[in-house]
Amino acid sequence: MNNAQIEIQIIASLVSIACAIPGTFLVLRKMAMISDAISHSILPGIVIGFFLTQDLNSPILILFAAFTGIITVVLVEYIQKTGLVKEDTAIGLVFPALFSIGVILIAKNANDVHLDVDAVLLGELAFAPFDRLLILGTDVGPKALWIIGVILFITITLLIAFFKELKVSTFDAGLAASLGFSPAIIHYGLMSVASVTTVGAFDAVGAILVVALMIAPAATAYLLTTDLKKMLALAIGFGVLSAISGYWFAHWLDASIAGSITTMLGLIFLFVYLFAPSKGVIAVLYREKQQRAEVSLLTFLLHLKNHTELEERHVNHLREHINWQRVRAKAVLELALKNNMIVVDKNIVSLTKKGDTFTSKAIDYIITNRDAQIEDMKDDFFLFRG
Amino acid sequence: MDKNIAVKVDDLTVAYNYKPVLWDIDLEIPEGVLMAIVGPNGAGKSTLIKAILGILKPIAGSVSIYGKPYKKQLQLVAYVPQKGSVDWDFPTTALDVVMMGTYGSLGWIKRPRQKDKKAALEALEKVGMLAFKGRQISQLSGGQQQRIFLARALVQNASIYFMDEPFQGVDATTEITIINILKELRKAGKTVIVVHHDLQTVPEYFDWVTFLNVKKIATGPVKDIFNDDNLTKTYGINYKVSIQE
Repeated sequence: MNNAQIEIQIIASLVSIACAIPGTFLVLRKMAMISDAISHSILPGIVIGFFLTQDLNSPILILFAAFTGIITVVLVEYIQKTGLVKEDTAIGLVFPALFSIGVILIAKNANDVHLDVDAVLLGELAFAPFDRLLILGTDVGPKALWIIGVILFITITLLIAFFKELKVSTFDAGLAASLGFSPAIIHYGLMSVASVTTVGAFDAVGAILVVALMIAPAATAYLLTTDLKKMLALAIGFGVLSAISGYWFAHWLDASIAGSITTMLGLIFLFVYLFAPSKGVIAVLYREKQQRAEVSLLTFLLHLKNHTELEERHVNHLREHINWQRVRAKAVLELALKNNMIVVDKNIVSLTKKGDTFTSKAIDYIITNRDAQIEDMKDDFFLFRG
Repeated sequence: MDKNIAVKVDDLTVAYNYKPVLWDIDLEIPEGVLMAIVGPNGAGKSTLIKAILGILKPIAGSVSIYGKPYKKQLQLVAYVPQKGSVDWDFPTTALDVVMMGTYGSLGWIKRPRQKDKKAALEALEKVGMLAFKGRQISQLSGGQQQRIFLARALVQNASIYFMDEPFQGVDATTEITIINILKELRKAGKTVIVVHHDLQTVPEYFDWVTFLNVKKIATGPVKDIFNDDNLTKTYGINYKVSIQE
């Protein structure tokens, strides 16, 4: 690996961390699409900022563009508050309007600079190492690295300082307000961080990848954990993993780095979506199958409990009486035998003591919906988990 | 009246998109009552609580808590929102939600300490949910979620409790647990204000009642004003409940 390669991977990793943090809260606040709006509508801010400063990396330009991001959020909320359109419609109205102003401004005035629509959408991470930051004539590294480094430092500081405020206002805005933590201040604080991060990451990775880096790692992490801190850590991990694997994928294919990182984000999400231990598609299907089997088992046990007559408990009669197909009846019989809930003697089925207690408890639970007494059964049976 | 006034509402008007949902409400809630706010759907019951707590901005009127504006009395007040107002899939545990009750006394930036955690565990025990402290909140039943919310309010150790429909869709165990805790709070001299739907249980659970339907219809002791006349005025139809003495 040469220096430029290492620098690109570090920049991509820092960008992905800086995006994953506000992204996690956007996902939890069901505001994923607002990041799309911000990433597009900061374009006119960047263009106007560039006319004023003549420097694509000037901090003033970043603040100017971030301010456009905040304006987007305010406009979306204002349109939504009229009650005439829903939030997604408001987003769809605001950002294309602002984005198109940016596109026209570029086409009219900025033809001779490195600011074209392709770069805006996809960024050019590969060129990032060429633009160096010189302090007193000494080369201290790529400018993009410093910009995103500073933004990340601020983001992490704010996250640590205001973690509990972010958590409570995201979970329960009403409570936050009644406790004296203004949800509006926290909301606009988060939007400001998201806007500044978007602008800082924009030049390196472009408008589309910024959105992907904010949303995909958080959405992936959401499927794996029930703890906010772990969700943040996982989102950061997935972001960095996609950044580095995406870089090498692009290297191998000789393709766009931004495109490859986005592809990796998608693949990682798909993998987790399928295989996540409790929320994944496969786990859910398996659980549903288990639940069906358990309902059958319970029906079967209940039938045995209600009928003491021998003919009602004959293996063949059971099939007719409960009217199950042969295969399912066999599976249920085996499940009950395996759990020592029944005994079969000369084709006559009887409940064991364990089976009898289990059935009584289960029925009692279904009738009273009281949780405490079946806690010990929850580990063995899906049916009784919420 | 000899009693201190815990909550005083003057000429309160609240509107959504210029349509008033509460009109010129005057209300005095004496200290130490267990009060139900009753009224039909859309009567502005939740809105009244939210306006008192400053969550909604009124277009006119004022609210005071023990004679001062709410903003100066945050520590005296605990609020239990409607269970349906939050996303129960949020990645957090029962204990963590109860801990949120301590955030108000901590203020900005400061983090909860060991004593806050201890208080949260005690509150969980009081509502019979200690065994579930580590459980993800979506894995709790509706009644258990409501008890977690109550525990979160208890942790605040407030003087006035506002609860928005705490009995909505809960099981019998939870309803009994909650009402016993509310009665204990009243015994300890706290003021408890509950948005309530089930008129049958008003005389059994509460000692004070406010009838609300956009305007205030009546407020006072249950034994004096909980009658067919006020019910009919509030609900607009001939309402008859038999009150058992």
